[in-house]
Amino acid sequence: MIQFFHVSKKYPGGQAALDEVTFDIPRGQFVFLTGASGAGKTTLLRMIFREEVPTSGQILVNGRNVSAIPRSKIPYLRRTIGVVFQDFRLIARKTIFENVTYLPQVLGVDLQEQKKLAYQALRRVGLAHRLNAFPPELSGGEQQRVAIARALINDPDILIADEPTGNLDPDLSREILRLFLEVNLRGTTVILATHDRDTIQRVGRRVLTLDHGRLANDQELIGTDPPALDPLAAEAPQVPEELIPAPEPPPEETAG
Amino acid sequence: MSLLKALRYFFREAGVNLLRGWKVSLLAVLTIAVSLFIGGAFLLVSDNLESSVERWRGEMRVVIYLKPETPEADLRRLAAEAARAPGVRSVEPVTAAAARKRFQEVFPSLSNLVAGWQEEPLPASLEIGLDPRTAGNAPGREAWLASWRTRPEVSLIDDDREWLGQLATAVAVVRTVGVALVAGLLGAAIFTIASVIRLTAYLHAEEIGIMRLVGATELYIRAPFYVEGLLQGVIGGLLASGALWAGYQLLHARGGGSLFSSVLALDFLGAQQVAFLILLGGAAGLFGAVVSLRREAL
Repeated sequence: MIQFFHVSKKYPGGQAALDEVTFDIPRGQFVFLTGASGAGKTTLLRMIFREEVPTSGQILVNGRNVSAIPRSKIPYLRRTIGVVFQDFRLIARKTIFENVTYLPQVLGVDLQEQKKLAYQALRRVGLAHRLNAFPPELSGGEQQRVAIARALINDPDILIADEPTGNLDPDLSREILRLFLEVNLRGTTVILATHDRDTIQRVGRRVLTLDHGRLANDQELIGTDPPALDPLAAEAPQVPEELIPAPEPPPEETAG
Repeated sequence: MSLLKALRYFFREAGVNLLRGWKVSLLAVLTIAVSLFIGGAFLLVSDNLESSVERWRGEMRVVIYLKPETPEADLRRLAAEAARAPGVRSVEPVTAAAARKRFQEVFPSLSNLVAGWQEEPLPASLEIGLDPRTAGNAPGREAWLASWRTRPEVSLIDDDREWLGQLATAVAVVRTVGVALVAGLLGAAIFTIASVIRLTAYLHAEEIGIMRLVGATELYIRAPFYVEGLLQGVIGGLLASGALWAGYQLLHARGGGSLFSSVLALDFLGAQQVAFLILLGGAAGLFGAVVSLRREAL
Protein backbone atom coordinates (compact mmCIF):
# COMPACT_ATOMS: atom_id res chain seq x y z
CA MET A 1 0.00 0.00 0.00
CA ILE A 2 2.59 2.60 1.12
CA GLN A 3 6.27 1.91 0.61
CA PHE A 4 9.20 4.21 1.34
CA PHE A 5 12.59 3.18 -0.09
CA HIS A 6 15.58 5.10 1.23
CA VAL A 7 13.67 8.34 1.14
CA SER A 8 15.63 11.50 1.96
CA LYS A 9 14.62 15.11 1.88
CA LYS A 10 17.13 17.91 2.11
CA TYR A 11 16.12 21.56 2.03
CA PRO A 12 18.19 24.14 0.13
CA GLY A 13 20.04 25.17 3.30
CA GLY A 14 21.40 21.63 3.53
CA GLN A 15 19.19 20.70 6.47
CA ALA A 16 17.87 17.12 6.20
CA ALA A 17 14.16 16.70 7.01
CA LEU A 18 14.26 12.98 6.25
CA ASP A 19 17.28 10.73 5.98
CA GLU A 20 17.20 7.30 4.32
CA VAL A 21 13.74 6.37 5.59
CA THR A 22 12.52 2.92 4.57
CA PHE A 23 9.29 1.21 5.65
CA ASP A 24 6.28 -0.56 4.29
CA ILE A 25 2.66 -0.14 5.45
CA PRO A 26 0.28 -2.88 4.31
CA ARG A 27 -3.34 -2.17 3.42
CA GLY A 28 -5.68 -1.76 6.39
CA GLN A 29 -2.99 -1.11 9.00
CA PHE A 30 -3.22 1.52 11.73
CA VAL A 31 0.11 3.24 12.24
CA PHE A 32 1.21 5.89 14.71
CA LEU A 33 3.97 8.17 13.47
CA THR A 34 5.73 9.80 16.35
CA GLY A 35 8.80 11.80 17.21
CA ALA A 36 9.76 15.15 18.63
CA SER A 37 8.78 18.39 16.89
CA GLY A 38 10.96 18.80 13.80
CA ALA A 39 11.65 15.07 13.55
CA GLY A 40 10.18 14.98 10.03
CA LYS A 41 6.66 13.63 10.67
CA THR A 42 4.85 16.29 8.66
CA THR A 43 7.35 16.11 5.79
CA LEU A 44 6.87 12.36 5.61
CA LEU A 45 3.07 12.65 5.56
CA ARG A 46 3.15 15.40 2.94
CA MET A 47 5.22 13.16 0.69
CA ILE A 48 2.50 10.53 0.67
CA PHE A 49 0.02 12.90 -0.97
CA ARG A 50 2.73 14.56 -3.09
CA GLU A 51 2.76 17.91 -1.32
CA GLU A 52 6.51 17.37 -1.07
CA VAL A 53 8.85 15.34 -3.23
CA PRO A 54 11.91 13.49 -1.89
CA THR A 55 15.40 14.59 -2.79
CA SER A 56 16.29 10.93 -3.22
CA GLY A 57 14.58 7.57 -2.81
CA GLN A 58 11.23 6.25 -3.99
CA ILE A 59 7.70 6.36 -2.56
CA LEU A 60 5.07 3.96 -3.81
CA VAL A 61 1.40 4.45 -2.95
CA ASN A 62 -0.87 1.69 -4.20
CA GLY A 63 1.98 0.59 -6.46
CA ARG A 64 2.44 4.02 -8.09
CA ASN A 65 5.65 5.97 -7.84
CA VAL A 66 4.37 9.18 -6.29
CA SER A 67 7.40 11.29 -7.27
CA ALA A 68 6.94 10.38 -10.94
CA ILE A 69 3.26 11.35 -11.15
CA PRO A 70 2.83 14.30 -13.54
CA ARG A 71 1.43 17.49 -12.03
CA SER A 72 -1.86 17.13 -13.84
CA LYS A 73 -2.42 13.68 -12.26
CA ILE A 74 -1.75 14.70 -8.65
CA PRO A 75 -5.45 15.50 -7.96
CA TYR A 76 -6.35 11.90 -8.86
CA LEU A 77 -3.84 10.58 -6.30
CA ARG A 78 -5.22 12.92 -3.64
CA ARG A 79 -8.76 11.75 -4.23
CA THR A 80 -7.71 8.35 -2.86
CA ILE A 81 -6.20 9.87 0.29
CA GLY A 82 -8.08 11.65 3.05
CA VAL A 83 -6.06 14.19 5.01
CA VAL A 84 -6.82 15.71 8.42
CA PHE A 85 -4.77 18.50 9.98
CA GLN A 86 -4.34 19.87 13.44
CA ASP A 87 -5.88 23.20 12.36
CA PHE A 88 -8.88 21.54 10.62
CA ARG A 89 -8.48 23.61 7.41
CA LEU A 90 -12.16 24.14 6.76
CA ILE A 91 -13.38 26.88 4.43
CA ALA A 92 -14.98 29.40 6.79
CA ARG A 93 -17.31 30.97 4.21
CA LYS A 94 -18.81 27.65 3.19
CA THR A 95 -21.36 25.63 5.15
CA ILE A 96 -20.49 22.29 6.69
CA PHE A 97 -22.38 20.62 3.84
CA GLU A 98 -20.35 22.54 1.24
CA ASN A 99 -17.08 21.83 3.04
CA VAL A 100 -17.77 18.15 3.28
CA THR A 101 -19.05 17.75 -0.27
CA TYR A 102 -16.29 19.70 -1.97
CA LEU A 103 -14.75 16.62 -3.58
CA PRO A 104 -18.06 15.08 -4.76
CA GLN A 105 -18.85 18.49 -6.23
CA VAL A 106 -15.52 18.53 -8.08
CA LEU A 107 -16.30 15.04 -9.35
CA GLY A 108 -19.68 16.19 -10.69
CA VAL A 109 -21.80 14.11 -8.32
CA ASP A 110 -25.39 15.32 -8.47
CA LEU A 111 -26.85 17.27 -5.58
CA GLN A 112 -29.09 14.49 -4.26
CA GLU A 113 -26.17 12.10 -4.13
CA GLN A 114 -24.01 14.80 -2.50
CA LYS A 115 -26.63 15.21 0.22
CA LYS A 116 -26.71 11.48 0.80
CA LEU A 117 -22.91 11.26 1.00
CA ALA A 118 -22.69 14.29 3.29
CA TYR A 119 -25.34 12.88 5.59
CA GLN A 120 -23.60 9.50 5.79
CA ALA A 121 -20.16 11.06 6.39
CA LEU A 122 -21.43 13.50 9.00
CA ARG A 123 -23.48 10.82 10.73
CA ARG A 124 -20.31 8.76 11.14
CA VAL A 125 -18.80 11.65 13.07
CA GLY A 126 -22.03 12.50 14.89
CA LEU A 127 -22.69 15.83 13.17
CA ALA A 128 -25.48 15.07 10.71
CA HIS A 129 -27.60 17.78 12.36
CA ARG A 130 -25.07 20.58 11.60
CA LEU A 131 -25.24 20.47 7.79
CA ASN A 132 -26.11 24.13 7.40
CA ALA A 133 -23.84 25.60 10.06
CA PHE A 134 -20.63 27.44 9.22
CA PRO A 135 -17.28 26.26 10.66
CA PRO A 136 -16.81 29.24 13.01
CA GLU A 137 -20.12 28.30 14.67
CA LEU A 138 -18.70 24.93 15.73
CA SER A 139 -16.39 23.97 18.60
CA GLY A 140 -12.85 22.79 17.88
CA GLY A 141 -13.81 19.16 18.33
CA GLU A 142 -16.78 19.54 16.00
CA GLN A 143 -14.65 21.24 13.38
CA GLN A 144 -12.15 18.41 13.52
CA ARG A 145 -14.97 15.91 13.11
CA VAL A 146 -16.16 17.83 10.04
CA ALA A 147 -12.60 17.69 8.67
CA ILE A 148 -12.64 13.94 9.22
CA ALA A 149 -16.02 13.65 7.49
CA ARG A 150 -14.58 15.59 4.54
CA ALA A 151 -11.59 13.26 4.45
CA LEU A 152 -13.84 10.20 4.52
CA ILE A 153 -16.56 11.25 2.08
CA ASN A 154 -14.87 9.69 -0.92
CA ASP A 155 -14.18 6.48 0.99
CA PRO A 156 -10.39 6.87 0.67
CA ASP A 157 -7.91 4.02 0.73
CA ILE A 158 -5.68 5.94 3.11
CA LEU A 159 -6.45 8.39 5.89
CA ILE A 160 -3.59 10.64 6.99
CA ALA A 161 -3.86 12.75 10.13
CA ASP A 162 -1.20 15.22 11.22
CA GLU A 163 -1.56 15.94 14.94
CA PRO A 164 -5.37 15.84 14.65
CA THR A 165 -5.85 16.17 18.40
CA GLY A 166 -3.14 18.75 19.01
CA ASN A 167 -5.65 21.55 19.55
CA LEU A 168 -8.20 19.56 21.50
CA ASP A 169 -8.74 18.76 25.17
CA PRO A 170 -8.25 15.16 26.38
CA ASP A 171 -11.94 14.17 26.15
CA LEU A 172 -12.29 15.46 22.60
CA SER A 173 -8.95 13.89 21.66
CA ARG A 174 -10.21 10.55 22.86
CA GLU A 175 -13.39 10.97 20.83
CA ILE A 176 -11.43 11.82 17.66
CA LEU A 177 -9.04 8.94 18.15
CA ARG A 178 -11.98 6.59 18.54
CA LEU A 179 -13.23 7.80 15.16
CA PHE A 180 -9.91 6.99 13.52
CA LEU A 181 -9.92 3.53 15.01
CA GLU A 182 -13.44 2.99 13.74
CA VAL A 183 -12.44 4.11 10.24
CA ASN A 184 -9.54 1.69 10.39
CA LEU A 185 -11.86 -1.14 11.42
CA ARG A 186 -13.71 -0.60 8.16
CA GLY A 187 -10.52 -1.31 6.22
CA THR A 188 -8.99 2.12 5.65
CA THR A 189 -5.25 2.42 6.20
CA VAL A 190 -4.69 5.08 8.85
CA ILE A 191 -1.45 6.94 9.54
CA LEU A 192 -1.70 9.24 12.50
CA ALA A 193 1.12 11.57 13.45
CA THR A 194 1.23 12.49 17.11
CA HIS A 195 3.68 13.09 19.89
CA ASP A 196 1.17 12.10 22.52
CA ARG A 197 3.05 9.06 23.91
CA ASP A 198 0.38 8.38 26.50
CA THR A 199 -2.28 7.79 23.84
CA ILE A 200 0.06 5.55 21.86
CA GLN A 201 0.83 3.50 24.99
CA ARG A 202 -2.85 3.03 25.77
CA VAL A 203 -4.02 2.22 22.24
CA GLY A 204 -1.09 0.16 21.00
CA ARG A 205 -0.75 -0.65 17.26
CA ARG A 206 2.30 -0.17 15.04
CA VAL A 207 4.48 2.82 15.92
CA LEU A 208 7.06 4.43 13.62
CA THR A 209 9.37 6.77 15.51
CA LEU A 210 11.33 9.46 13.72
CA ASP A 211 14.36 11.14 15.22
CA HIS A 212 16.09 13.97 13.36
CA GLY A 213 14.70 12.67 10.07
CA ARG A 214 15.77 9.08 10.59
CA LEU A 215 13.46 6.16 11.29
CA ALA A 216 14.66 5.40 14.80
CA ASN A 217 12.16 2.70 15.67
CA ASP A 218 9.47 0.56 14.05
CA GLN A 219 7.61 -1.57 16.58
CA GLU A 220 4.26 -3.16 17.38
CA LEU A 221 2.89 -2.12 20.75
CA ILE A 222 0.30 -3.87 22.82
CA GLY A 223 -2.04 -1.26 24.23
CA THR A 224 -2.29 -0.92 27.96
CA ASP A 225 -5.92 0.18 27.89
CA PRO A 226 -7.38 -0.66 24.47
CA PRO A 227 -11.02 -1.02 25.59
CA ALA A 228 -11.09 2.62 26.66
CA LEU A 229 -10.65 3.60 23.03
CA ASP A 230 -12.31 0.66 21.39
CA PRO A 231 -14.92 2.10 19.06
CA LEU A 232 -17.09 -0.97 19.40
CA ALA A 233 -17.06 -0.74 23.17
CA ALA A 234 -17.75 2.98 22.91
CA GLU A 235 -20.92 2.38 20.94
CA ALA A 236 -22.53 0.74 23.99
CA PRO A 237 -24.48 3.51 25.76
CA GLN A 238 -22.98 4.56 29.03
CA VAL A 239 -25.98 5.10 31.31
CA PRO A 240 -25.32 7.01 34.53
CA GLU A 241 -25.93 4.92 37.60
CA GLU A 242 -28.54 7.23 39.08
CA LEU A 243 -30.72 6.69 36.02
CA ILE A 244 -30.67 2.92 36.28
CA PRO A 245 -33.95 1.91 37.91
CA ALA A 246 -33.70 -0.11 41.09
CA PRO A 247 -34.85 -3.72 40.73
CA GLU A 248 -38.47 -4.13 41.53
CA PRO A 249 -39.09 -5.60 44.94
CA PRO A 250 -40.61 -9.05 44.90
CA PRO A 251 -44.34 -8.98 45.41
CA GLU A 252 -45.22 -9.25 49.03
CA GLU A 253 -47.12 -12.26 49.98
CA THR A 254 -50.54 -11.35 51.20
CA ALA A 255 -52.02 -13.00 54.12
CA GLY A 256 -54.81 -15.07 53.08
CA MET B 1 -18.22 16.79 -14.22
CA SER B 2 -20.54 17.94 -16.96
CA LEU B 3 -19.64 21.16 -18.74
CA LEU B 4 -22.89 22.81 -17.74
CA LYS B 5 -22.41 21.99 -14.06
CA ALA B 6 -18.82 23.16 -14.21
CA LEU B 7 -19.80 26.43 -15.88
CA ARG B 8 -22.53 27.01 -13.32
CA TYR B 9 -20.01 26.45 -10.53
CA PHE B 10 -17.39 28.72 -12.14
CA PHE B 11 -19.86 31.57 -12.65
CA ARG B 12 -21.33 31.21 -9.16
CA GLU B 13 -17.90 31.30 -7.53
CA ALA B 14 -16.82 34.22 -9.74
CA GLY B 15 -20.02 36.09 -8.86
CA VAL B 16 -19.46 35.53 -5.15
CA ASN B 17 -15.85 36.77 -5.46
CA LEU B 18 -17.00 39.86 -7.35
CA LEU B 19 -19.57 40.71 -4.71
CA ARG B 20 -17.33 40.00 -1.75
CA GLY B 21 -14.53 42.16 -3.07
CA TRP B 22 -16.81 44.67 -4.76
CA LYS B 23 -14.59 47.67 -4.08
CA VAL B 24 -11.53 46.35 -5.87
CA SER B 25 -13.75 44.75 -8.51
CA LEU B 26 -15.35 48.15 -9.12
CA LEU B 27 -11.91 49.67 -9.63
CA ALA B 28 -11.09 47.09 -12.28
CA VAL B 29 -14.48 47.48 -13.95
CA LEU B 30 -14.19 51.29 -14.05
CA THR B 31 -10.66 51.18 -15.43
CA ILE B 32 -11.74 49.01 -18.30
CA ALA B 33 -14.95 51.02 -18.78
CA VAL B 34 -13.00 54.28 -19.11
CA SER B 35 -10.61 52.71 -21.63
CA LEU B 36 -13.43 51.33 -23.72
CA PHE B 37 -15.43 54.55 -23.45
CA ILE B 38 -12.54 56.56 -24.89
CA GLY B 39 -11.95 53.89 -27.53
CA GLY B 40 -15.65 53.84 -28.36
CA ALA B 41 -15.74 57.65 -28.63
CA PHE B 42 -12.87 57.60 -31.11
CA LEU B 43 -14.59 54.83 -33.04
CA LEU B 44 -17.84 56.80 -33.09
CA VAL B 45 -16.19 60.00 -34.36
CA SER B 46 -13.95 58.33 -36.92
CA ASP B 47 -16.80 56.16 -38.22
CA ASN B 48 -19.09 59.14 -38.65
CA LEU B 49 -16.33 61.21 -40.22
CA GLU B 50 -15.59 58.37 -42.59
CA SER B 51 -19.23 57.96 -43.57
CA SER B 52 -19.44 61.73 -44.11
CA VAL B 53 -16.41 61.51 -46.38
CA GLU B 54 -18.06 58.63 -48.20
CA ARG B 55 -21.26 60.63 -48.57
CA TRP B 56 -19.37 63.61 -49.92
CA ARG B 57 -17.38 61.35 -52.18
CA GLY B 58 -20.70 60.27 -53.69
CA GLU B 59 -21.40 63.90 -54.42
CA MET B 60 -17.87 64.62 -55.59
CA ARG B 61 -17.50 66.91 -58.52
CA VAL B 62 -15.08 69.01 -60.47
CA VAL B 63 -16.16 72.57 -61.34
CA ILE B 64 -14.54 74.14 -64.40
CA TYR B 65 -14.94 77.92 -64.42
CA LEU B 66 -14.82 79.55 -67.81
CA LYS B 67 -13.56 82.98 -68.74
CA PRO B 68 -16.25 85.72 -68.79
CA GLU B 69 -16.13 86.25 -72.53
CA THR B 70 -16.87 82.60 -73.34
CA PRO B 71 -20.05 82.44 -75.44
CA GLU B 72 -22.89 80.22 -74.32
CA ALA B 73 -22.57 78.04 -77.43
CA ASP B 74 -19.02 77.16 -76.38
CA LEU B 75 -20.35 76.30 -72.93
CA ARG B 76 -22.74 73.76 -74.51
CA ARG B 77 -20.02 72.36 -76.72
CA LEU B 78 -17.57 72.00 -73.87
CA ALA B 79 -20.28 70.35 -71.73
CA ALA B 80 -20.93 67.74 -74.43
CA GLU B 81 -17.21 67.11 -74.69
CA ALA B 82 -16.79 66.70 -70.93
CA ALA B 83 -19.67 64.21 -70.75
CA ARG B 84 -17.79 61.82 -73.05
CA ALA B 85 -14.83 61.41 -70.65
CA PRO B 86 -14.62 58.11 -68.64
CA GLY B 87 -15.80 58.22 -64.99
CA VAL B 88 -17.99 61.26 -65.56
CA ARG B 89 -21.48 60.75 -64.18
CA SER B 90 -23.11 64.05 -65.10
CA VAL B 91 -22.28 67.43 -66.58
CA GLU B 92 -24.34 70.49 -65.84
CA PRO B 93 -23.51 73.62 -67.82
CA VAL B 94 -24.20 76.67 -65.64
CA THR B 95 -24.42 79.93 -67.55
CA ALA B 96 -23.20 83.17 -65.97
CA ALA B 97 -26.83 84.32 -65.58
CA ALA B 98 -27.82 81.03 -63.95
CA ALA B 99 -24.85 81.31 -61.56
CA ARG B 100 -25.93 84.81 -60.52
CA LYS B 101 -29.52 83.65 -60.04
CA ARG B 102 -28.42 80.70 -57.92
CA PHE B 103 -26.25 83.01 -55.78
CA GLN B 104 -29.19 85.31 -55.18
CA GLU B 105 -31.39 82.37 -54.19
CA VAL B 106 -28.84 80.85 -51.82
CA PHE B 107 -27.75 84.16 -50.29
CA PRO B 108 -30.77 86.46 -50.56
CA SER B 109 -29.26 88.99 -48.16
CA LEU B 110 -26.22 89.36 -50.41
CA SER B 111 -28.19 89.53 -53.66
CA ASN B 112 -27.27 93.21 -54.12
CA LEU B 113 -23.65 92.25 -54.50
CA VAL B 114 -24.33 90.61 -57.85
CA ALA B 115 -27.08 92.93 -59.09
CA GLY B 116 -26.68 96.01 -61.28
CA TRP B 117 -23.51 94.97 -63.11
CA GLN B 118 -23.17 95.72 -66.84
CA GLU B 119 -21.66 92.30 -67.37
CA GLU B 120 -22.46 89.13 -65.49
CA PRO B 121 -20.29 89.20 -62.31
CA LEU B 122 -20.02 85.41 -61.92
CA PRO B 123 -18.39 83.17 -64.49
CA ALA B 124 -20.13 80.40 -66.40
CA SER B 125 -19.07 76.93 -65.36
CA LEU B 126 -19.29 73.23 -66.01
CA GLU B 127 -20.30 71.21 -62.93
CA ILE B 128 -19.00 67.73 -63.58
CA GLY B 129 -20.25 64.95 -61.29
CA LEU B 130 -17.72 62.14 -60.93
CA ASP B 131 -18.43 58.45 -60.49
CA PRO B 132 -18.00 57.69 -56.73
CA ARG B 133 -17.06 54.07 -57.55
CA THR B 134 -13.71 55.27 -58.84
CA ALA B 135 -13.53 57.98 -56.15
CA GLY B 136 -13.06 60.43 -58.99
CA ASN B 137 -9.91 58.66 -60.07
CA ALA B 138 -10.85 57.06 -63.36
CA PRO B 139 -7.88 56.15 -65.60
CA GLY B 140 -6.33 59.22 -67.19
CA ARG B 141 -8.18 61.62 -64.85
CA GLU B 142 -5.14 63.82 -64.12
CA ALA B 143 -4.16 64.07 -67.78
CA TRP B 144 -7.77 64.87 -68.65
CA LEU B 145 -7.88 67.70 -66.07
CA ALA B 146 -4.47 68.96 -67.21
CA SER B 147 -5.78 69.17 -70.77
CA TRP B 148 -8.71 71.29 -69.53
CA ARG B 149 -6.36 73.65 -67.70
CA THR B 150 -4.57 74.47 -70.93
CA ARG B 151 -7.73 75.38 -72.81
CA PRO B 152 -8.10 79.10 -73.57
CA GLU B 153 -11.77 79.17 -72.34
CA VAL B 154 -10.91 77.85 -68.85
CA SER B 155 -9.99 80.22 -66.03
CA LEU B 156 -10.05 77.95 -62.95
CA ILE B 157 -10.69 74.34 -61.96
CA ASP B 158 -12.07 73.52 -58.52
CA ASP B 159 -11.41 69.85 -57.68
CA ASP B 160 -13.33 68.33 -54.65
CA ARG B 161 -10.90 65.43 -54.52
CA GLU B 162 -8.22 67.64 -52.99
CA TRP B 163 -10.03 68.50 -49.77
CA LEU B 164 -11.76 65.14 -49.56
CA GLY B 165 -8.34 63.52 -49.70
CA GLN B 166 -7.19 65.72 -46.83
CA LEU B 167 -10.29 64.83 -44.83
CA ALA B 168 -9.71 61.11 -45.42
CA THR B 169 -6.17 61.56 -44.07
CA ALA B 170 -7.62 63.30 -41.01
CA VAL B 171 -9.97 60.32 -40.46
CA ALA B 172 -7.02 57.94 -40.65
CA VAL B 173 -5.11 60.07 -38.12
CA VAL B 174 -8.10 60.11 -35.73
CA ARG B 175 -8.41 56.35 -36.06
CA THR B 176 -4.69 55.73 -35.49
CA VAL B 177 -4.57 58.03 -32.47
CA GLY B 178 -7.68 56.27 -31.12
CA VAL B 179 -6.22 52.80 -31.59
CA ALA B 180 -2.91 53.84 -29.95
CA LEU B 181 -4.70 55.50 -27.04
CA VAL B 182 -7.01 52.54 -26.51
CA ALA B 183 -4.09 50.10 -26.69
CA GLY B 184 -2.35 52.05 -23.92
CA LEU B 185 -5.47 52.38 -21.81
CA LEU B 186 -6.40 48.73 -22.27
CA GLY B 187 -2.89 47.80 -21.17
CA ALA B 188 -3.49 49.76 -17.97
CA ALA B 189 -6.90 48.13 -17.56
CA ILE B 190 -5.43 44.65 -18.04
CA PHE B 191 -2.79 45.46 -15.44
CA THR B 192 -5.51 46.59 -12.99
CA ILE B 193 -7.61 43.48 -13.56
CA ALA B 194 -4.54 41.27 -13.20
CA SER B 195 -3.73 42.95 -9.88
CA VAL B 196 -7.29 42.58 -8.63
CA ILE B 197 -7.43 38.90 -9.58
CA ARG B 198 -4.03 38.29 -7.99
CA LEU B 199 -5.23 39.98 -4.83
CA THR B 200 -8.39 37.84 -4.79
CA ALA B 201 -6.32 34.69 -5.34
CA TYR B 202 -3.99 35.78 -2.53
CA LEU B 203 -6.94 36.32 -0.20
CA HIS B 204 -8.17 32.83 -1.08
CA ALA B 205 -4.73 31.21 -0.86
CA GLU B 206 -5.73 29.02 2.07
CA GLU B 207 -8.94 27.98 0.38
CA ILE B 208 -7.04 27.14 -2.80
CA GLY B 209 -4.66 25.02 -0.72
CA ILE B 210 -7.63 23.10 0.68
CA MET B 211 -9.06 22.63 -2.81
CA ARG B 212 -5.75 21.14 -3.96
CA LEU B 213 -5.62 18.96 -0.89
CA VAL B 214 -8.95 17.29 -1.57
CA GLY B 215 -8.06 16.66 -5.21
CA ALA B 216 -9.47 19.55 -7.22
CA THR B 217 -7.86 19.95 -10.64
CA GLU B 218 -6.01 23.12 -11.62
CA LEU B 219 -8.74 24.03 -14.09
CA TYR B 220 -11.37 23.72 -11.39
CA ILE B 221 -9.35 25.97 -9.09
CA ARG B 222 -8.38 28.57 -11.70
CA ALA B 223 -11.51 28.76 -13.84
CA PRO B 224 -13.57 30.83 -11.34
CA PHE B 225 -10.79 33.46 -11.38
CA TYR B 226 -10.74 33.47 -15.19
CA VAL B 227 -14.52 33.92 -15.22
CA GLU B 228 -14.15 36.73 -12.66
CA GLY B 229 -11.76 38.59 -15.00
CA LEU B 230 -14.05 37.93 -17.94
CA LEU B 231 -17.07 39.28 -16.04
CA GLN B 232 -15.18 42.39 -14.93
CA GLY B 233 -14.25 43.06 -18.56
CA VAL B 234 -17.75 42.43 -19.89
CA ILE B 235 -19.33 44.65 -17.21
CA GLY B 236 -16.75 47.34 -18.08
CA GLY B 237 -17.70 47.00 -21.76
CA LEU B 238 -21.41 47.28 -20.95
CA LEU B 239 -20.81 50.35 -18.80
CA ALA B 240 -18.71 51.96 -21.54
CA SER B 241 -21.37 51.25 -24.18
CA GLY B 242 -24.10 52.63 -21.90
CA ALA B 243 -22.07 55.77 -21.16
CA LEU B 244 -21.37 56.28 -24.87
CA TRP B 245 -25.06 55.97 -25.67
CA ALA B 246 -25.98 58.39 -22.88
CA GLY B 247 -23.30 60.85 -23.99
CA TYR B 248 -24.44 60.58 -27.61
CA GLN B 249 -28.05 61.25 -26.65
CA LEU B 250 -27.08 64.17 -24.43
CA LEU B 251 -24.95 65.86 -27.08
CA HIS B 252 -27.63 65.37 -29.71
CA ALA B 253 -30.25 66.85 -27.42
CA ARG B 254 -28.07 69.90 -26.78
CA GLY B 255 -26.38 70.37 -30.13
CA GLY B 256 -28.93 69.27 -32.74
CA GLY B 257 -27.97 70.56 -36.19
CA SER B 258 -24.45 71.52 -35.13
CA LEU B 259 -21.30 70.36 -36.86
CA PHE B 260 -21.01 67.73 -34.15
CA SER B 261 -24.35 66.10 -34.76
CA SER B 262 -24.27 66.43 -38.54
CA VAL B 263 -20.74 65.26 -39.20
CA LEU B 264 -19.04 63.73 -36.16
CA ALA B 265 -21.87 61.89 -34.44
CA LEU B 266 -24.68 61.52 -36.90
CA ASP B 267 -25.19 57.82 -36.18
CA PHE B 268 -24.49 55.79 -33.03
CA LEU B 269 -22.26 52.74 -33.22
CA GLY B 270 -23.74 49.68 -34.90
CA ALA B 271 -24.76 46.60 -32.90
CA GLN B 272 -21.67 44.77 -34.10
CA GLN B 273 -19.40 47.57 -32.91
CA VAL B 274 -21.08 47.66 -29.49
CA ALA B 275 -20.71 43.88 -29.29
CA PHE B 276 -17.05 44.30 -30.27
CA LEU B 277 -16.49 46.79 -27.43
CA ILE B 278 -18.07 44.43 -24.90
CA LEU B 279 -16.14 41.44 -26.22
CA LEU B 280 -12.93 43.45 -26.19
CA GLY B 281 -13.59 44.21 -22.52
CA GLY B 282 -14.23 40.53 -21.81
CA ALA B 283 -11.09 39.49 -23.67
CA ALA B 284 -9.00 42.09 -21.79
CA GLY B 285 -10.41 40.88 -18.45
CA LEU B 286 -9.78 37.24 -19.29
CA PHE B 287 -6.27 38.04 -20.46
CA GLY B 288 -5.59 39.93 -17.23
CA ALA B 289 -6.79 36.95 -15.17
CA VAL B 290 -4.72 34.46 -17.16
CA VAL B 291 -1.62 36.65 -16.87
CA SER B 292 -2.08 37.12 -13.12
CA LEU B 293 -2.43 33.39 -12.47
CA ARG B 294 0.27 32.17 -14.81
CA ARG B 295 2.81 29.59 -13.71
CA GLU B 296 3.17 29.37 -9.95
CA ALA B 297 1.28 32.58 -9.15
CA LEU B 298 -1.50 30.54 -7.55
